[in-house]
Amino acid sequence: MFNLPPPDILLQLSLNGALGGAMYGVAAVGLSLIFGTMRLIFLAQGAMIILAAYFVRALFYGLGIDPFLSLLIVVPVGLGVGWLMYHGLFRKAAAEEDRNVSLLIAVGLMFLVQNLMTVVWGGNTAGVVTSYTATGIELLGVRTSFTRTMGFLIALAGTGLVMLFLRKTIVGKAVRAASEDMDAATLMGISPHRVNAIAFAIGIALAGAAGVAVATTFPFNPFAGFIFSLKALVALALGGIGNVTGALAGGILLGLIEAYVQFFISGGWTNAIAYGVFLAVLMFKPEGLFSRPYKKA
Amino acid sequence: MSNAFKWIAIVAVAALALLPFVPGAVDAYYFSFLFFVFLYAIMAQSWNLVAGYGGQISLGSHAFFGLGAYTTAILWTGNYLWGSLYDTHPGIYYFDPVTMALGGVVAALAAAIIGLPLLSKLRGDYFALGTLGFGEIVKVLFVNGGDFTGSAFGIVAPAGMFDTLRPHYWVALGLMVATALAIGALMRSRYGLAMIAVRDDEMAASANGIDVLKVKVAAFAGSAFIAGVAGSLYTFYIFHVGPDSVFDLDWMLLPLMMTVVGGTGTLLGPILGALVMYAVFDLARIVVPDYHPVISGLTIILAMLFLPKGLMRSFAGKARLA
Amino acid sequence: MANRLLEVSDLQVAYGDVGALWGVSLHVDPGTIVAIVGANGAGKTTLLRTVSGLLKPKSGDIRLAGQSLVGKAPQEIASMGIAHVPEGRGLFRQMTVLENLELGAFQPKARPRTRELLDRAYALFPRLKERVHQKAGSLSGGEQQMLAIARATMSEPSLLILDEPSLGLSPLVVQQMFSLIQTLHGQGVTILLVEQNIHQALKVADYAFVLKTGSLAMQGTGAELIADPEIQKAYMGALE
Repeated sequence: MFNLPPPDILLQLSLNGALGGAMYGVAAVGLSLIFGTMRLIFLAQGAMIILAAYFVRALFYGLGIDPFLSLLIVVPVGLGVGWLMYHGLFRKAAAEEDRNVSLLIAVGLMFLVQNLMTVVWGGNTAGVVTSYTATGIELLGVRTSFTRTMGFLIALAGTGLVMLFLRKTIVGKAVRAASEDMDAATLMGISPHRVNAIAFAIGIALAGAAGVAVATTFPFNPFAGFIFSLKALVALALGGIGNVTGALAGGILLGLIEAYVQFFISGGWTNAIAYGVFLAVLMFKPEGLFSRPYKKA
Repeated sequence: MSNAFKWIAIVAVAALALLPFVPGAVDAYYFSFLFFVFLYAIMAQSWNLVAGYGGQISLGSHAFFGLGAYTTAILWTGNYLWGSLYDTHPGIYYFDPVTMALGGVVAALAAAIIGLPLLSKLRGDYFALGTLGFGEIVKVLFVNGGDFTGSAFGIVAPAGMFDTLRPHYWVALGLMVATALAIGALMRSRYGLAMIAVRDDEMAASANGIDVLKVKVAAFAGSAFIAGVAGSLYTFYIFHVGPDSVFDLDWMLLPLMMTVVGGTGTLLGPILGALVMYAVFDLARIVVPDYHPVISGLTIILAMLFLPKGLMRSFAGKARLA
Repeated sequence: MANRLLEVSDLQVAYGDVGALWGVSLHVDPGTIVAIVGANGAGKTTLLRTVSGLLKPKSGDIRLAGQSLVGKAPQEIASMGIAHVPEGRGLFRQMTVLENLELGAFQPKARPRTRELLDRAYALFPRLKERVHQKAGSLSGGEQQMLAIARATMSEPSLLILDEPSLGLSPLVVQQMFSLIQTLHGQGVTILLVEQNIHQALKVADYAFVLKTGSLAMQGTGAELIADPEIQKAYMGALE
């Protein structure tokens, strides 16, 4: 069919795919948490990532704060914004039986954020150019971009921290319990509003971290977020809905698929194939590709 | 539906139908405004059929709308239907019932083909995600369709038959009324009852001998048919059918929102929601042109915060107008 | 009696066609085992879910030690001292046995004493100690039921509600379950029990209420009801 390219090209391809995919992954981790407790497909996640990217850009050009250093601002702000967002916008809808209500609030939020960004920063493509934007580094014997590598590390660290929180703290365990069975969780004395708000806070904080990664690697515009939300959903399905490490792995896998399809077939088909894989996984392995099923008693 | 209500509806439709004859009463702007209200009302009915009555949240309406639009444009520009008649009657494709119905049929077939595996395997949110993915795949297929679909640019249909929007207005009004009447009749028939039964309790429905999968796929395909016809109608208005315009997610999100604002699972909710929301959007577009998408987003959020049950249920009391 | 632990008065709940309640009154005294028995669809589960706040009543009152529970959210009711083991157990199947138990002591008043409460739970349920790091979903049916009850006791509830604890268990495990219930009773735990296994339930119960299509049909001590010819005919006839 086609000739296999030399191994160093393959490695280059895999590395770039994995590094880029980690960004979908970190967005998917946030979606996974929010979906877990609220059963809400938070379509505004991508818009929040782009908003964070603009924020990082403003901090850099306005105050001279290094984009990676701005993580220290963006992440705490994200936690607060997420918390407020839940209590201000979603708290009432969470109690509503018709879950379209919260889905539509997310859609409304997406419209609002996208267009506010257009009003404030204009609709043109923007970016963050630092002294190290064009810097390359040697990784596994292959040259790759420094900022992409940093983005990957941010994704890894973010997911790792979330995992620690979910596995080691009692509040984190409560979030996991609520994702599995909200009724049973409330019988333990767990407040749905509290876990929902925590899921939102972490989800938006992760959007903030992803925003740093996006701002330093890609040019972006106010409407670039939606495709990010879709990609994050694909990553989520690949990793298994409700599985946090799976979401990151799903993102990396999606990045690899995209890189290979782009190289071997054509850039025009990447989305179709990515969504095709998405549909196939939803239908044939809805628990995700990475879950180890335990024997049922 | 009460008798008095029936008469109000008949009078309202008659008044709308006769509106273009009132000299000077309406200018082109209002025709275009009402055309879009009717078009969105049809799309909202389509979504309401599968989600409100059928209980399956679909996020793929835009795919079926786009399929209907492309089918119409392809049939028209390729003159696949009317042969030499087209030479003598260049307007033959305008609102041609066969062309429009085929737009619906193609969409319905696509829905049946994708719906069968999706609905037999997926439930609830997973089905919603699946339809969203399907919509994106269809879009990419059309972008990569070569000359047949016009690739990324799309297809331009022959324009310029009419110098007024009146025909569009009447056809859209007629289709909106026909859709509402058809769904109303369907929901009173035993097929409609089967849909409600499946929505409310699948286990009980299946225990009563209802073929749950068949009912779900039929509702999904029926909804796609309506969306396909709406897409066809849009082609006669816009002439340029491109992947970014007719597969735009707004063709799914806005009707969904209008239905929920109007009242999911009610017959008049989608129409009311389309009228109110489109009016708000259009007003924002005129009054604050720079900020109108911001206002749109804000309106959706406010509507959901304060009217989560929809206009029909909030103001029409507990009476179900189904 | 003045110091009733739980007092349900004239409770009405609309819940589909089956399972609705039409003015039910009952009470649980501290330190007792009270059983609610009745056929399928009589409203037993509806009653328990309303007490713990998962369902909202149409009218009537529910009081725990004099405080009304009506209108309170389930998590508030849980922290007032009711632990409800729901039908189907409500375990977090993807989480480990230990994590399930820790969540049982989630409430602020129990949380600081999690270690001590865990030791007590292990003493009562030694089988669970062997499986602390196993996922709850991988346990056998009987072990899952033990875990659900152990988890509920982690909050040191003033009232323990058990919905069909014997459902789906083998006869031998059912025996273990009921002796466990008696052990807990011996430690002073007040228990409200719903059972389809009427004979067993009435044997352990100090007092019992019979529900029939959403209304109270009969009440009495466990021994009285076991001896009642009508009960025997209606619910246990075939068994004896």
